Amino acid sequence: MMIKGKVAPMLALGLAMLLAACSGEQVNYKRGVYLLLDTSGTYTEELNKAQQIINFLLANLEAGDTFVVARIDSGSFSEKDIVAKVVLDSRPSAANRQKREFAAAIDQFVVSVQSSAYTDISGGLLQAVEYLNEADVGQKSIFIFSDMKEELPEGYVRDFSLALDGYQVKALNVTKLRSDNVNPQEYLARMTDWQTTIEQGGGRWAVVNDLDRPEALAF
Amino acid sequence: MTDFFARLSEDPWLGFLIVIGTVIALYMGRSSAHGAIETFFRLLSSALRLGARSTAMAEKRLKERNREVLIALGKEHAEREINREFFRINKFVERDLGGYPKLQRSIQEQVTTINEDYERSGEVPPPSPEWVAAVDAVAKLHLNEKGSSLTEKILEDIHQAAEEQHREVLVSYRQGMAERHSILKKMAPFWRKLSNSVDQIGTHLQELKKRAQQIDLQMERYEEICNRPDKAERMLKASALTQFTIALIVVAIAIAGAYFNFHLIAYPMSEMVDGSNRIGGARVSDIAAMVLIFIEITMGIFLLELLHVTKLFPIIGSMDDRMRVRGIWVVGGILLAMASMESGLAFMRDYLAVQDRALQASLTGVEVGAEVNWITLAVNMGMGFFLPLALTVVAIPLEYLLHTGRTVMGMLTELLLRLLALTMRILSVSLRHAGRLTIHLYDLVIMLPLWVETTLKSRQQVGKAANGGVLDDSEYFANEASK
Repeated sequence: MMIKGKVAPMLALGLAMLLAACSGEQVNYKRGVYLLLDTSGTYTEELNKAQQIINFLLANLEAGDTFVVARIDSGSFSEKDIVAKVVLDSRPSAANRQKREFAAAIDQFVVSVQSSAYTDISGGLLQAVEYLNEADVGQKSIFIFSDMKEELPEGYVRDFSLALDGYQVKALNVTKLRSDNVNPQEYLARMTDWQTTIEQGGGRWAVVNDLDRPEALAF
Repeated sequence: MTDFFARLSEDPWLGFLIVIGTVIALYMGRSSAHGAIETFFRLLSSALRLGARSTAMAEKRLKERNREVLIALGKEHAEREINREFFRINKFVERDLGGYPKLQRSIQEQVTTINEDYERSGEVPPPSPEWVAAVDAVAKLHLNEKGSSLTEKILEDIHQAAEEQHREVLVSYRQGMAERHSILKKMAPFWRKLSNSVDQIGTHLQELKKRAQQIDLQMERYEEICNRPDKAERMLKASALTQFTIALIVVAIAIAGAYFNFHLIAYPMSEMVDGSNRIGGARVSDIAAMVLIFIEITMGIFLLELLHVTKLFPIIGSMDDRMRVRGIWVVGGILLAMASMESGLAFMRDYLAVQDRALQASLTGVEVGAEVNWITLAVNMGMGFFLPLALTVVAIPLEYLLHTGRTVMGMLTELLLRLLALTMRILSVSLRHAGRLTIHLYDLVIMLPLWVETTLKSRQQVGKAANGGVLDDSEYFANEASK
């Protein structure tokens, strides 16, 4: 009876704590990753490297995570530029199958991709933000596999500020252009501009050129 | 404030005047200040002394309470042991000595059979030969008749008849002896059976004697607890500490086992329960795996309770025997089913791991072994089956932990209260002395005016002594006021 008397309040306390934990604000642990692939000019030659990154990300994604790969071309603010997308199933066996199908779709894309004349990075970013805002994810990451030089077709306007609160934006494998080599200031100014744009929107900005670092692709 | 100090550093005379003023003020308020200091420290000291006393009283009450609980637990434990021994004896008597009348009848039957066989095997004296009378008649014939042919013939016939009968009697005697030997030979198994039966009774009686000695020991222990509580308390305390430590270690091992078991089933569980949703940061599938393990442990606790091994839930222990046996079958069945489920989950874990490895290989292009390793699979499945069953026995150390935890916690609280009381007492004494020290330090600050006062007073004393000890008016009123 003595033990019963001690155990009952403890059980009640545990139950109360559990209820308190459940009644609190629910944290969304699902992750959303949107990878933008630059397909302009000679950058298409880098897509094999991008494929490795995609495979790495696929291997590290878990049940419930969202992964989208989209191309950056002349007008990227469009769903048509999405190459492959997936919301991983909660069952590991189904998630495995989805990952295989995703990897196959990327394989097909890398083989058949044609380079575009222009590079609409801002449009792609806006599309990524729209998509991830719509998706039920808690942690949002946008990876841009590009030289980060934006070239828009005539008449295209990309004069807007992005709402990137809670977003992590990483520019991957930012290759230096010939003009950058002539005047490195151009490269630095380009990077600073992007950083300002992202941080003004409330996002976190990072440039990762050494993809061998373990934390390079952390999300 | 900074300006004030700056001004002081600029004007040393101002500082000097402030010091002098402070000393004079302190001197003038000496008596009140002494009173205030003394009262303040005495108040603190008294409060601490009071606190120490009440803490010591609380410790004493707690000690008494702990003692009562410990003795009660010791008595309960001893009673339980005695009950268990009686239960064992009862079972033993029912099982082994319950068949005693049957055994006795069997022994009697065996004894009767042996007796009959013995009687049958008795030696029958051979009948006296029929030709003895003829021999007597021949013996009475006259010697002269002995040479006659008739006498010879008669003697010859008698000789032949005697020889023939001797052979017949010898054959009959040998047959009789053989029969008796065969009867005796048949008796041997009965003797062995009888000997075994007697040995069996002897063993049972020895067992009974051993159990009776155990009960005697337990009774002695119980009486010791009742009659010599101080000694019993010391013994029980030491025993409780030892049991608590052992139970704690075993429970820690069980927790490690449960953790290992959790990792065995958590991943495959996500195949059935949504692994993408989380509660408080933990995956729902992980929580489901944990709940499954908790249910297994709970079932184990119920099973041991139904088996009367533990006594955590008196209501289960007091169920009637038929219900209890049914409960044992039901809970045991559930446990087996759960163990089989875990074994299945362990199988699925290996299957999923192989799939994962194959995916990794296809994504990275690095060849890794993507086949099922049957040894690993068998070990995983075996662990999945046996770990839940092994975890069921955690109820025993858990019960010990709960029972002895009360005593150990009580002892620790007692120790803490004693330390608190001691600290408070030391602080109380220190504060009393600190009050005196502060008063002396106060006097040290106003040392100069005090010295002047003492000097003046001593001079006045000298003057008074010179005037014959008569005080003037002002001195008289000053003395009265100070009184």
